Amino acid sequence: MSDTQWPRFEVFKQDSHADRHAGVGSVHAPDGEMALLIARDVFVRRPDCVSLWVAPAQRISSFTVQQLASAAPPLRGSHGRGPESFEVFKKVHHKGVHTHVGQVTAETPFDALRAACQDFAEPPAHVWWLVPSASLVRSEPADSDSFFEPALHKPFRDQAFYRIQTLLRRLKKAGLAQKDGE
Amino acid sequence: MREQVAMGDASTAQSSRPDEAVLLRQFEARIARGQKIEPGDWMPEEYRRQLIRMISQHAHSEIVGMLPEGEWITRAPNLRRKMILLAKVQDEGGHGQYLYHAAETLGVTREEMIDGLLSGRAKYSSIFNYPSLTWADMGTIGWFVDGAAILNQTMLAKCSYGPYARAMVRICAEESFHMKQGKEMILLMSQGTPAQRAMVQDAIDRWWQPTLMMFGPHDKDSPNTPTLARWGIKTKTNDELRQTFVNQVAPEVLAIGFTLPDPHLHRDEASGNWVYGPIDWDEFWRVVGGDGPCNRQRLAVRRKAHEDGRWVRAALQAYAERQAQS
Repeated sequence: MSDTQWPRFEVFKQDSHADRHAGVGSVHAPDGEMALLIARDVFVRRPDCVSLWVAPAQRISSFTVQQLASAAPPLRGSHGRGPESFEVFKKVHHKGVHTHVGQVTAETPFDALRAACQDFAEPPAHVWWLVPSASLVRSEPADSDSFFEPALHKPFRDQAFYRIQTLLRRLKKAGLAQKDGE
Repeated sequence: MREQVAMGDASTAQSSRPDEAVLLRQFEARIARGQKIEPGDWMPEEYRRQLIRMISQHAHSEIVGMLPEGEWITRAPNLRRKMILLAKVQDEGGHGQYLYHAAETLGVTREEMIDGLLSGRAKYSSIFNYPSLTWADMGTIGWFVDGAAILNQTMLAKCSYGPYARAMVRICAEESFHMKQGKEMILLMSQGTPAQRAMVQDAIDRWWQPTLMMFGPHDKDSPNTPTLARWGIKTKTNDELRQTFVNQVAPEVLAIGFTLPDPHLHRDEASGNWVYGPIDWDEFWRVVGGDGPCNRQRLAVRRKAHEDGRWVRAALQAYAERQAQS
C-alpha cells in the first residue's frame, strides 16, 4: 500500500533572475531527479520561473524562533562529516516564505545555524532552514527550454486574459440580454 | 540569538517545559497579534486535528473536482475551450498536491489521506457529487462553483497556519482564471442561440442550490466555527460567505437575462443584501453522507486511476533504486 509514500522534497522556485529562490511547497518522489520533474509539473504551470531547486526534506534542518527560545532546538545529524557547505534559507515575515539568503560552511547543521545567525543576522528570521548544498538537485540552464518555456505560451492560464468587465459593458450597451429584444 | 542557540541542549530541555495552559495562552496571543504558526511550533492538539480535517478535505475536493470537468475535455466545442479546460483541470490536480503537502506538515501522511479518500472514509465538497450534463455546465461550474470556492479560499489565505495560508495564496492567484473563463463562457452564451440560452438556464437551475450548500450548514448548526475563528483558521462564518456570494452573483445572473431557481430571491432594500429562500439541508446531508447522484461513480473513478497508475509508480521506484546502486 505504501507505493506512493516516497520521500518528501521541498521545492524552491526562482521567479526571475533578479529574485532569490523561494520555497513554494513540496513534492514526493523516489529520487531527486524525479522530484525536479514533478516539481516542474506541480509548481510551474505559469510563466514565472527561471530555475528550480529541490531538497530532500530529511536533509533540511529547521529551526523556528520559538524552538530556539524554548532552548530545545531539534538537532538532526549532529555528527559532523568534516566541513561542508550549507544553503541558508530564512523566513523573515510572518506572511513570507523561506527564501534563500546564501551559504555557510560548517561541520554540522547546528554549527551552520550559528554561522548563519552571524552572517545573515538582519533582518531577524522567524524560521531558519539549513540544507547541505550537495543534497540539492537544481535545474540546469539547458533545461530551460523544456522546463519553463512551454508555460510562456499559455496566456489563457492568466485571469487577465478574460476581459469580463469589457464584455459586460459591451453587453449592457447592446441592450443587455436578448430577452428584452424578443 | 547566539545565547539562545548555545542554551539549546536537547537533553536538559524537557524538564523545563511550561505547562499546557501557559502554552495555549502564548499560542492564542500570537494568533491575536496576526502571527503565523509554523510546523515545529507548539499548537493545541485540537488546532492540529481541525486543520488536518479541513486541509485534507480541501485537497480531496480538488482531486475529485477534476472529474465533473475532465469528462468534458474531449467534448469541448473548439480548441481554445479545450486548452482552457485542460489547463483548469490540470491546475486542480496541482492544487490537490499543494494541499496534501500542507496537511503533511501537521504529521499526517499523504498515503493516509489518499487511503481515506479511496476507502470512502474521508469527506470532500458535496458539489462534486452532482453530474455535469451539458457543455453549459462547464461555464456554470466555473462561475458559480469556482466563484464560491474563491470566497472561501481568500479567507483561508489569511489563516493562522503558515503552510495552509501559503498554499491558499498560490491557489487563489490561479483560481481566478477558473472563475473568469466560466463567467466569460456564460456571458457569451447569453448572446447565443435560443438553444444555447436554454442550455445555460438549465445548468443554472441545477447548480444554484448545490453551490449555496457548498458554504456548509447555517452558522447555528456549525459548532466548530467559534473555535476556528478564535484560532484564526476561519475568520468568516458560512452564512457570511454565502451572503457575499449571493450578493455578487445573483444580480449579474439576472442582469444577463437568466432566472435563478428560488421564488424567495429578492434584494432587501434596508440591508442591501439579496435574500434567498430555504436550502434543502436534507439533500446536503444525504450527499455528504455518500448518497448523492455521483458519489459512487466518483470514488470508483479515483480507485481505478490509483490502481491503473500502480505500474508507473513501480517503474519510478525501480529506476530510483537502480540509479542509487550505480
